[in-house]
Amino acid sequence: MKPKNPATECANAAQPDRNAATTVLAGESIEKRYGSVEVLSDVSIEIPAAAVTALVGPNGTGKTTLLRLLLELEAPTSGAVTYEGPQTARRIGYLPQRPSFRPGFTVAETIEFYASLVETAVDSDRILDRVRLTDARNRPVEALSGGMTRLLGVGQSIVGSPPVVIFDEPASGLDPTMANRVFEVADELAAAGTAVVLTSHNLSLVSRHADRVGVLSDGTVTELTAPQTLATRYGVGDLREAYHAVVTADRADHGDGNDERHRGDPTDGERQ
Amino acid sequence: MTAHSALGQGTAIAAREVKTVLRTRIYALLAVGLFGFLFVLVAGGGGAATGYTPAIVDLLLPLEVIVPVLAIAIGYRSVVADLDRGELAVFTTYDVPAPVYVTAVYLGRSVGMLGMLGLPLVATGAVIAFTASPDTGVFATHSGVDSPVLFGRFVVLTALYGLSMLSLVLLGSVIARSLRTAIALAIGAVLVAVVGGDAAILAGVTDGWIGPSSLSWSFAAVPNSAYRSLVLETVIAIAAPTEGAYGSPAASAIGLVSWIIGPLLAAAAIVAHKRL
Repeated sequence: MKPKNPATECANAAQPDRNAATTVLAGESIEKRYGSVEVLSDVSIEIPAAAVTALVGPNGTGKTTLLRLLLELEAPTSGAVTYEGPQTARRIGYLPQRPSFRPGFTVAETIEFYASLVETAVDSDRILDRVRLTDARNRPVEALSGGMTRLLGVGQSIVGSPPVVIFDEPASGLDPTMANRVFEVADELAAAGTAVVLTSHNLSLVSRHADRVGVLSDGTVTELTAPQTLATRYGVGDLREAYHAVVTADRADHGDGNDERHRGDPTDGERQ
Repeated sequence: MTAHSALGQGTAIAAREVKTVLRTRIYALLAVGLFGFLFVLVAGGGGAATGYTPAIVDLLLPLEVIVPVLAIAIGYRSVVADLDRGELAVFTTYDVPAPVYVTAVYLGRSVGMLGMLGLPLVATGAVIAFTASPDTGVFATHSGVDSPVLFGRFVVLTALYGLSMLSLVLLGSVIARSLRTAIALAIGAVLVAVVGGDAAILAGVTDGWIGPSSLSWSFAAVPNSAYRSLVLETVIAIAAPTEGAYGSPAASAIGLVSWIIGPLLAAAAIVAHKRL
């Protein structure tokens, strides 16, 4: 038997097992209505640590609403959201769909401001390095490109090392390089043990980076599973085809798709 | 959330507000413009040459109008801009309690407000000190003597009035869902409180439903009337005693402080229940 390489052993020990699902956030039988409009119906979801969980689905199917419920920015009409992770200074980090920061402050000042809101010591330089903004640390936030602003938003979301981070459409409006970079950061966070939940319309990036994916359609979410498993389950070749299969099947089940659910998730596209 | 972390969060948010005010050039220009305006007022009215009290008389009415305008300029964006950028939703992930957030934003903006208002007033006081007749340098210990102490008291009362207006404007900023509605709400709230309040007192006295016994409390209930009463009773009446009373200083002080605390409490309650 060959002796173990201590360096390899150490590296392996530091890498959480992305297949060992320890649930850190759970939603059970969630229903959300806005007046007579039902947005989510009987959604149960478990978010595991050390994994990228992606929620995909057509516009207006309740992706942002579901994220807001997980963040407890809104209360479900029925059902419950439970945080099951460790007790930390900050439990959940959040990247809004269109992150924006107070003008007149530099990138470093912005991260330092958010760092001052948590009790634990925060290494701002490390965060900037993690989101590849070290070179832009002294740049005013209003001078950042859309992609860099998104990366700063990612940086803000990981201040205080929350066990869960929620990214709402992190790649929307970004060029392919920048979108890929944002997903790479999500991937790295998951590799370090963080539970990453994100919504996206970019199915190729989701396919490449997500450990588990669920399709939101008709107010419900399919079982969260690996992109390729989902494709296999629907007897198609990839996530894109599986997505279309789920959505088409749901629309067929509900006639022309003009039932109340499809008329709107009031929070999707908010603050455009 | 421990008391220590609430204090730390409040300090961080207040410091950010102060930096925002300091880094916004328009506020510096407003302060310079305000000093120029006050200087013209006291120089044009002859107050600068004759003493502090005449200068206060020259400044009182214009400041009743200028202070609310300044409060609107400095406060209408304070909360609604955070909401608009999605920062209020982000703050909830840091467990920032609504009262801590509202108080910190108010304190930070107050520092800016007091600087913008106080520095030009102090500079105006310095101009009076150099240009007025020699006996104005006396620190008054009895009635009938003009004094820089009276001017200092006037500055403090003006600051209190400014803080009450800022509190009202901040409440408007909390209620609003966009910058456009925020400025409309701020202007509306200030107009209702200031102009509406004075008009209501006038109508009440004219129609008889405000009698002499309740006039003091009526003045106290309206922020600018309370400010005016306090200045007349505790500043001008000291240097120039008269037979009549302008109102109860205690009631006016309570009224002005209530206009600071009341809107802040309402703002904190609204932020706690607002859809972010």
